[in-house]
Amino acid sequence: MIKIRTVFEKNGRAKYISHLDLYRFMLRAFNRSGLPIWYTEGYNPRPYITFALALSLGFESKCENMDFNLNEEVDFDEIKNRLNNVMPEGILFNSVAFPQKKITEIAFAEYGASIATEDSGILLQEFLKFMQKDSILVEKKTKKGMVQTDIKALSEITNVTQNQDSLDFNVRLPAGTQSNYNPMLLTNAFINEISNKNISVKICRNAIICSDGKKFF
Amino acid sequence: MLKDKIEKFLLSVQKPSRYIGGEVGSIVKNKDNTDVGFAFCFPDTYDIGMSHLGMKILYSLINSRENFRCERVFAPWTDFEQIMRDNNIPLYTLENLQPVNEFDFIGFTMQYELSYTNVLNMLDLAGIPLYAKDRGEQLAPLVVAGGPCVCNIEPMADFFDLVILGEGEEVNLEIMDLYKVYKDKGSTRTQFLIEAAQIQGVYVPSLYNIGYNDDGTIKFIMPANNAPATVKKRIIKDFDKVFYPDNFVVPFTEIVHDRATIEVLRGCIRGCRFCQAGFIYRPFREKTTETVYNEAKKICENTGYDELSLSSLSTSDHSEIDKMLSTLINYTESRKINLSLPSLRIDNFSEELLEKIQKVRRSGLTFAQESGTQRLRDVINKNITEEEIMNTCRIAFEGGYNTVKLYFMMGLPTETDEDIIGIAELAHHIVDLYYSVLNGRRGRPVQISISTATFVPKPFTPFEFEPQDTMEIIKHKQKLLVDSVNDRKIKVSWHDPKVSILEAVLAKGDRKIADVIYKAWLKGCKFDSWSECYSYEKWMEAFNECGISPEFYANRKREYDEILPWDHMDYYVTKDFLIRENITARAGFTTPNCRDNCSGCGIVNETGVKCFD
Repeated sequence: MIKIRTVFEKNGRAKYISHLDLYRFMLRAFNRSGLPIWYTEGYNPRPYITFALALSLGFESKCENMDFNLNEEVDFDEIKNRLNNVMPEGILFNSVAFPQKKITEIAFAEYGASIATEDSGILLQEFLKFMQKDSILVEKKTKKGMVQTDIKALSEITNVTQNQDSLDFNVRLPAGTQSNYNPMLLTNAFINEISNKNISVKICRNAIICSDGKKFF
Repeated sequence: MLKDKIEKFLLSVQKPSRYIGGEVGSIVKNKDNTDVGFAFCFPDTYDIGMSHLGMKILYSLINSRENFRCERVFAPWTDFEQIMRDNNIPLYTLENLQPVNEFDFIGFTMQYELSYTNVLNMLDLAGIPLYAKDRGEQLAPLVVAGGPCVCNIEPMADFFDLVILGEGEEVNLEIMDLYKVYKDKGSTRTQFLIEAAQIQGVYVPSLYNIGYNDDGTIKFIMPANNAPATVKKRIIKDFDKVFYPDNFVVPFTEIVHDRATIEVLRGCIRGCRFCQAGFIYRPFREKTTETVYNEAKKICENTGYDELSLSSLSTSDHSEIDKMLSTLINYTESRKINLSLPSLRIDNFSEELLEKIQKVRRSGLTFAQESGTQRLRDVINKNITEEEIMNTCRIAFEGGYNTVKLYFMMGLPTETDEDIIGIAELAHHIVDLYYSVLNGRRGRPVQISISTATFVPKPFTPFEFEPQDTMEIIKHKQKLLVDSVNDRKIKVSWHDPKVSILEAVLAKGDRKIADVIYKAWLKGCKFDSWSECYSYEKWMEAFNECGISPEFYANRKREYDEILPWDHMDYYVTKDFLIRENITARAGFTTPNCRDNCSGCGIVNETGVKCFD
């Protein structure tokens, strides 16, 4: 049994594949690929496929991780090609390797947010003002119920850019098995404060970072 | 761009991946490089429509022609429909996200009567005039229909330009080829429709004039412009060689039947007298084991599905069933594919067969006995004896099964209280049998569920002449059944008779029903097969306002010599045969299955070959 870790992009129409549907989707993709995927040995054998960090429905990503096991050694490039050959538009495998990091080492995720608007100048001013607040309190759903959190203290915002019809910025938030923050907590808090409601937000996950500051892989 | 507009709202609706396409196996052609575009509409949600085999076949078939393009359309659920209406998003196809009204053909598959209002709703969302007469003389878009319900499409006839009877694998392409010629010539809609009516299997409702008697029955059906007096359905002669897709569209989100499916046979030899499918899909034809195996392998490899299902009206009637299952199981086992076999008949369900199914995975045991007494089973020609039912249950119980689902119909012709009590008695006998098989050993408790549907008399069956039970009688029978069951191991459920009466009206209605359907839709009726959407009250208002009595259609007995709304449709099963079968049924006699003895339904006269040697 050989453990394999892959990184793939999830873009375009593929961003509407929910996390729950992704397992079934990948299972069928493996069947199509002909790769010698390893099955669990229990009463109801099934391929062992895991994803490092769930991605919210509707987010794009440049860095989704999928782990699985193979019964025999296959060249990394061949794995990549065989998977890409059976993927729909929007899903593209970029790298295949043996896993280096443990999933529990994941500490942060970096997202690119793009807020579409007719007047990005006004939006930029509003955003800068918003980020000057001492704290930005949001309600976050946890296992223990709703908890109030200061999302500002947790967000590290960089690269705020005004484009012709959008305001873009990057945000780094805690992620992983211990605590996980959705960037929509921040963007929704912002949208709640401004008057223009006719805007739409696009989010793309750009990187998953470990506690040592290195990329998860 | 339409795509941006759609995406803007997608995350605020349930199961958004239903509305954006992009699935593996979908065929996206450049719209500028094709001559004729066909928007294939299923008048229900994605989850239902994507499970339908006919759509998969015709989608691949049309797309297999380089110059043709077929794209899928489903009814949006109410949440997304509201967003579409509020934001001027027209009904669009999933492949190119292109408005449906830009297509040459808008084709609806008519699978059940309760989807009729969805057709109107989808046309309205597409911005197309609902009534065919209001669509003017330009050629496109043509609104067409096919599927089992078109054997009596009269209640919906005013909304369709053209209707396709029978199997579509050949005639659909013929119609599209003819269309291409007329499009190039710059013809009018009427010119095209008159010519199309000459193709066998094509029914153009506007070319038929219907006259009525004072009592509301039909006086005459008069064709015009050389349209045929009776429209003959289409049949695929060499079923083993018929087109079958290499690949299916594999949805992202879960759908009702999410698996690879192979059609192993068409038609049915049984002749159960209530069953429309058993008559309108005749003759019986099957695929060879080799074809089934090759098609199954291709579909499984291309889709990656881990479940394979065999589809037909009665899979165990395949002449090579044992060989076929052994061949398939060898393949599916090696690929860890689960083989599921719906539609197995109780009377030829052998021990050997059961073992083979169990080799893969144990699923539930479901029997459609249809009625509680032997007398009534003889009337409906469901040729199963209680002994056979008990034998099968014994085999199943010995094999470790402990749940049995039993399907019955209520309101069958000649049915009495005794027949209803018989349903409960049969269930009690099965419970007793289970414990006698256990023979004192401890085991899981047995669970019997009785599910009853209200009988809906359908066209092209020997019961087409029969009235449906009134709501009062059905309610009485339902209560009687519940009172007759005195064991908590037996659960009883039933269909709402308020739905069944509408089904009967729509199934046996004439063109006067069109305005009722339109009115009901105006009142907000849609998704009538979804209990959370169905409104009996709105439908009754619509009937009232149109001055139409639903009882006239549902609860009235037809004389044998009455002109029925579907008499100009020819499904090869003759009216004489249906009358003969109706008389035999009322006398309580059975008719042998087609393999044992030809009963002369009329299909041989058309096909020219005997169904069985």
